[in-house]
Amino acid sequence: MSAGRGDPELLDRLVGGSLGWLEKRRDHFRLPPDATTDADPNLTLKPLGELAELTQFIGSAHPLPEVRATAAALFAFAWREAREGELFAELIRGEPYATYPVEIYGAFAQAGLRHPAVEELVLTTTGLRGWRVAREDHTRTLGVLNAERRIGLAQHADFDAAFARTGLGLRPEPWALDRRAAYGLTHDVFHLTDWGRNPRRLSPEAAGYLRLWLPSWLENWLEEQLWDLVGELLAVAACLPGAPYDAAAWQRLAAAQAADGGVPETGAVPRPADPAEDFLACYHSTLVTAFAGTLARIASDEAGAGTGPVPAGDAAVAGRTPCESEAAL
Amino acid sequence: MAEQTQGAVPLSAVIADAATGVALALQGGGDPYALSRILRQGDPLAAAAVRVLGADALAPYALEHRAVPAGADDEAVVRQTLAAYPPGADASAVSAWSYRGLVEATHAYLPSGAQPWPRPPEAAAEWTGTDPWPRLAHRVSQLAALALPDLAGELAEQLGARTDDLARGFVRAVRRRDWLQAAGVGRWLARLPGVPATLGLDAGLAFVRQMGGGDPRVALHVVAAQRFFGRGW
Repeated sequence: MSAGRGDPELLDRLVGGSLGWLEKRRDHFRLPPDATTDADPNLTLKPLGELAELTQFIGSAHPLPEVRATAAALFAFAWREAREGELFAELIRGEPYATYPVEIYGAFAQAGLRHPAVEELVLTTTGLRGWRVAREDHTRTLGVLNAERRIGLAQHADFDAAFARTGLGLRPEPWALDRRAAYGLTHDVFHLTDWGRNPRRLSPEAAGYLRLWLPSWLENWLEEQLWDLVGELLAVAACLPGAPYDAAAWQRLAAAQAADGGVPETGAVPRPADPAEDFLACYHSTLVTAFAGTLARIASDEAGAGTGPVPAGDAAVAGRTPCESEAAL
Repeated sequence: MAEQTQGAVPLSAVIADAATGVALALQGGGDPYALSRILRQGDPLAAAAVRVLGADALAPYALEHRAVPAGADDEAVVRQTLAAYPPGADASAVSAWSYRGLVEATHAYLPSGAQPWPRPPEAAAEWTGTDPWPRLAHRVSQLAALALPDLAGELAEQLGARTDDLARGFVRAVRRRDWLQAAGVGRWLARLPGVPATLGLDAGLAFVRQMGGGDPRVALHVVAAQRFFGRGW
């Protein structure tokens, strides 16, 4: 990996292609009528939540105005699909102890999009002792804590203590990382840095650990053609001080992007012919690709502006300016 | 241990048995080591096996009291190998270094009889600076037998500048369950200073042995890392 400007043209092609694919398939993100009752949230709310989380960031932070506009329009679509927050009030009334409605709402709330009924509901539900019972997955706990912070709620647990028990907090032997742990590690970074908005929250120890071992992990999962994880690892690299740029990895991810802009989750199986199945096989990797490409593009601009690359261990001065939390609507 | 009662014993079995014998000697078990007891002079596969094991065929002689003083038979097996497999002009870097390692080991560990040992041939080393890390780690793992005391000092010095890259190769190899490569790179890392602490090399070597120690060559590399460089458990 090398620090520096990377390849802005390739990154712009990649992000533009991904957003184009998402735009064309926007209707697949629409929620079915039973979204708050019987539908599987993994097939309905999860895609919409990811769309909101990542397009909000791209729409407010990408250096190119046309990219920002496309992403912002997708984010606005997601808010409309959430019935301007009414969806979350319904979800919370149906499942008051579930974290996912709060987590997804947090993505909108931090952009200034709020719903009065949700605001009242979460004050009650997240204030319960039951909300503080430890969850199985400490990475998930970080996500919940980040959502609470975004909404402006009291933190149900100490962030640093929860972080210390995650993969990135414990920094396991780098060879002892399976696929699940790798996804956990990337999300530890995303929750800690508020999805790349605040990379200076990575401690020098965590940044040094990631800088050392990301090349190995990238190599492994490039070999397995697990494109969504490759994208997430590249996004993590772009959050590091100096944003080390792995040109070969980016080229391979770009080669995995189909002519229509879609990036399949895995290269091991052909893309499904059925449009709905194809959407499910691609939406996550395609969103991740747009997100990672945006982070790398911001880092590339910063390097070009003379603010980078930053030597390792000098994390205190490495953060980018926190993004505006505006609605971008 | 492979059966040796059948007529044709495959080379892989001969190598495996020899590796087991070397590892046992390094651990301080069994009778004092003698190369000619493990691989008999005249056995058509002996030279080929020594070629594969390289300097490791002589590793127990690096330990005091763990080997009987080398005799004419031991020397003959080594000379047979050196004569049979000289690296040609177009030999790969691995072949050239492996051969050189065996020659260096004769100088370091085996007092020669009447005839002096040949001089170690030159072997190119620019790849230690130019190989991308995956290729570097793969090559270095194939040269694991050179990770012995007093051998390949210049190579060790040059690889010392790339410990991060070799550590990345170790991670990749373990994740791929390529235990032989992991053990070989891990053995070199055991010799080098400045290995990143977060790698967890000691636990890593133990893990590789637990997972891949069924292969005697994997076990040999891990035992050598422990015996000579005190890494792993």
